[in-house]
Amino acid sequence: MSNQTFLRFFKRQSKNISQFWRQFSRNKLAVASLILVLIFALIAIFADVLYSYDFVTSNSLENALLKPGETGTVYFQEKDIEHTFILGSDNYGRDILGRLVHGARISMIIGFVTVAMAVVIGGILGAIAGYKGGLFDTIIMRLTDIILSIPTILMSIAIVAALGNSFFNLLIAISTSLIPGYIRIVRASIISIKDQEYVEAARVIGAGDFRIVLKHILPNITSPIIVQSTLNVGSSILSASWLSFLGLGILPPKPEWGNMLSEAREFIQYAPHLLFAPGIAILLTVLAYNIIGDGLRDALDPKLRR
Amino acid sequence: MDKILEIKDLHVHYYSNRRTVRAVNNLSLDMQRGRVLGLVGETGAGKTTLALSILNMISAPQGKIISGSIRFDNTDILGMSNQELRELRGKDIAMIFQDPMTALNPVLTIGEQIAETIFKHEKVSKAEAWSKAEEMLETVGIPGVRAREYPHQFSGGMKQRVVIALSLACNPRLLLADEPTTALDVTIQAQVLDLMRGLIKTNNTSVLFITHSLGLVVENCDEVATMYAGEVVEYGTVKQVFGNPLHPYTKGLLGSLPDYSEGSPRLRPIPGLMPDPTNLPKGCYFSPRCPNVMPKCHELHPENSSIEGHLVKCHQYQENLHVEQSI
Amino acid sequence: MSNNQSELPILQVRNLKKYFHVAKGTLHAVDDISFDIKKGGTLGMVGESGCGKSTTGRLLVRLHESDGGSINYNGIEITKASHKDMKMLRTKMQMIFQDPYSSINPHHTVSSIIGEPLKIYKKVRNMQEYEEKVRSLMETVGLADRLYDAYPHELDGGRRQRIGIARALALEPQFIVCDEPVSALDVSIQAQILNLLMDLQESLNLTYLFITHDLSVVKHISDDIVVMYLGQIVEKANTDELFKHPIHPYSKALESAIPIPRLNARKERIILKSEVVSPIDPKPGCRFAPRCNYAIASCGESDPILREVCPDRFVACHRAEMFV
Repeated sequence: MSNQTFLRFFKRQSKNISQFWRQFSRNKLAVASLILVLIFALIAIFADVLYSYDFVTSNSLENALLKPGETGTVYFQEKDIEHTFILGSDNYGRDILGRLVHGARISMIIGFVTVAMAVVIGGILGAIAGYKGGLFDTIIMRLTDIILSIPTILMSIAIVAALGNSFFNLLIAISTSLIPGYIRIVRASIISIKDQEYVEAARVIGAGDFRIVLKHILPNITSPIIVQSTLNVGSSILSASWLSFLGLGILPPKPEWGNMLSEAREFIQYAPHLLFAPGIAILLTVLAYNIIGDGLRDALDPKLRR
Repeated sequence: MDKILEIKDLHVHYYSNRRTVRAVNNLSLDMQRGRVLGLVGETGAGKTTLALSILNMISAPQGKIISGSIRFDNTDILGMSNQELRELRGKDIAMIFQDPMTALNPVLTIGEQIAETIFKHEKVSKAEAWSKAEEMLETVGIPGVRAREYPHQFSGGMKQRVVIALSLACNPRLLLADEPTTALDVTIQAQVLDLMRGLIKTNNTSVLFITHSLGLVVENCDEVATMYAGEVVEYGTVKQVFGNPLHPYTKGLLGSLPDYSEGSPRLRPIPGLMPDPTNLPKGCYFSPRCPNVMPKCHELHPENSSIEGHLVKCHQYQENLHVEQSI
Repeated sequence: MSNNQSELPILQVRNLKKYFHVAKGTLHAVDDISFDIKKGGTLGMVGESGCGKSTTGRLLVRLHESDGGSINYNGIEITKASHKDMKMLRTKMQMIFQDPYSSINPHHTVSSIIGEPLKIYKKVRNMQEYEEKVRSLMETVGLADRLYDAYPHELDGGRRQRIGIARALALEPQFIVCDEPVSALDVSIQAQILNLLMDLQESLNLTYLFITHDLSVVKHISDDIVVMYLGQIVEKANTDELFKHPIHPYSKALESAIPIPRLNARKERIILKSEVVSPIDPKPGCRFAPRCNYAIASCGESDPILREVCPDRFVACHRAEMFV
């Protein structure tokens, strides 16, 4: 009997998933963006295979500012090898494509970790505010207002300045700016669902608060959270970029798209490829996540369904 | 007798998700001038679609009037231009929608809303339109001075009376009332319908009264048509249809009402459900649920039979009575 | 009507009150009402919107906390019941809701909606027992077995309401508050659901509080009726008696307002004047007086008391004797 139940469960879930995919795939652009994001993810995961980390951070000044496609000799692992710089090299002679690839890994980590932290913290606070109401609600909403009233740049600078310039503190700074969004979404969803008749019905059959939140309210808020999260991954990566651009967060020689941009500033005139490479990478990534977010919202909206 | 509305062989479809919803199927219906025709049916029968078709307000691309003709006072509605239709709506044909809460614009005073329609259709000045609006409110039992107030300041019953005043403001020849009192309490409903009856009589307005309540039909209508799965299955005077219901669906509806089952503890519902409008059964649409079903009912779609103007679309009657094509 | 109604009340409500604080003042939703329901019987509670009948239903299952008065179920005082007692009481008292579209969670399947009470109270020991119990409930309310994993949006109003009924029956209650269970349904489906409710009452010996605004439905299903107006009970009587001879002017108007689907049924209709008085901070005096065709000056001076004007007929009207 148990096996049959699981079988039915999977059959039902796969029906849901295929229905979702049918809706989502109508948006060709979103599907293309998804593919792009998956490719970037794969590149990020296999960064070491493509370019070793040492290769990307070591200097060889005689190869400085090579144009894309040019070759040079690099001393690596006790050998001299001929190497083609596919996207050229920067002012320290480092392979730009290699740095982009490793930067992708860092960006991905930043994107997902900050969003995950914000969802959990923002979600819990929003749930308390929405469900309990009263004083809890007031305190949490005022806190949200305070965070929102401080410009993100200033707040990030303040946090990093106060806590020190480490990777973890960068994550804290970025995720703090995302938290108010989640508090609001979760709180608003809970308030709108709290008084629905099926929640009343759940109370009458004896469900406690915990069960009501878990089984009745959460399933309804997953879709706005998913949508918001995909959009936030993009904006997180962007935030990390300009924070490093400003000299906070990830500092050279660690490869991060933002600090690569920053270093490229001096050389715009005669080596523009230093700027375009990370710039386009940031652009494509953020754009792709935004388009996926839009596509998800349309696919998950029950009103647009069927 | 003089016909104010003649609908012939109307087909209306809606399109959703690659499926075609056959909302109105080969519907023919005539209305006499100055009379109140009750249109009865349950959810999904196609009553509102029919009303919107009369005003040619079926919105593309979701819906389309596929074929058929609608003649209002001898004018072809479906052939009219948008300009002509705009002049017609509100002035010659008016419609009362079901929910008074959403029929009124919340940011305009009710006086403005009534005056607007008068001003648009009649050659009067704005001041004259306003005073006419106040007059209309008085006729529905609302003090004229309240014309300056906003919809949210009125109760449900009063809002519906405002909507009635709005619809009768230009003295239309035909009024389409789509469940005008369903959202109201029963004592308020009695007040509002009492009022409506008076106004209709005074102005000799013809009314198409759409409802799912058979009781309201008996009390307010002269003729009645029963609608099922997009077509009229029975039509006659109230006396004919309620005195001697012919179609099994009409009989089933009457039989399932609590009031009718006086004495017996159990009600007699019609078994089953209305057919899926994207997949109507072959032959008679009611055949899957009919207690008197015969083999030919599943194969052949019935035509209208008639006794002295009492029309019914059912195979049972085609042998006994003379067969007549829909008028 | 039920056949196995006993004479003992299973539910006794005394002086029940519920007030809501709104911007303009205090809304007297339920204002000092008292009634009994006999075991195995059906009490119909009728009135129009704003009369407090839905609020009363919710007070009985403690979805709202009352502001005064007592609700005694089988000896237990509900208004003061502890969390533990309440949990136990919920297995005895259940509710069926009006709107089959909003009273069941659209994200849950039919089986998980019906089976949820079983999970909460751990009434079953394993998945097999759970599935058996849910399928049996589905059969009891007439839901096809193949709908076990269906979602509500795939079903029509009548089937959804059956889901709600099955859910209410899961814990094998003795008493069910039916809050307008058929108002949102089509006429032919109403008949199906009413038959189901009556059959269930018969076979499971249930007691119902049947809340509705539809007098023709309540006439069919109730033994006794309570007529409510603006939070107060204006008349209490046996169903047949009430319909044969309503005493309170509001009951009379209500009864005369029902459209009857029969030719030559109604000779005259009582039309009420003006509008309903606001339930916010009501003034002393009969609340129906402004609309009453028989009101005199003294009607507005004090609140009428619900009193027995003839055997088993309770009316709250200063001039009740005139109408007996």
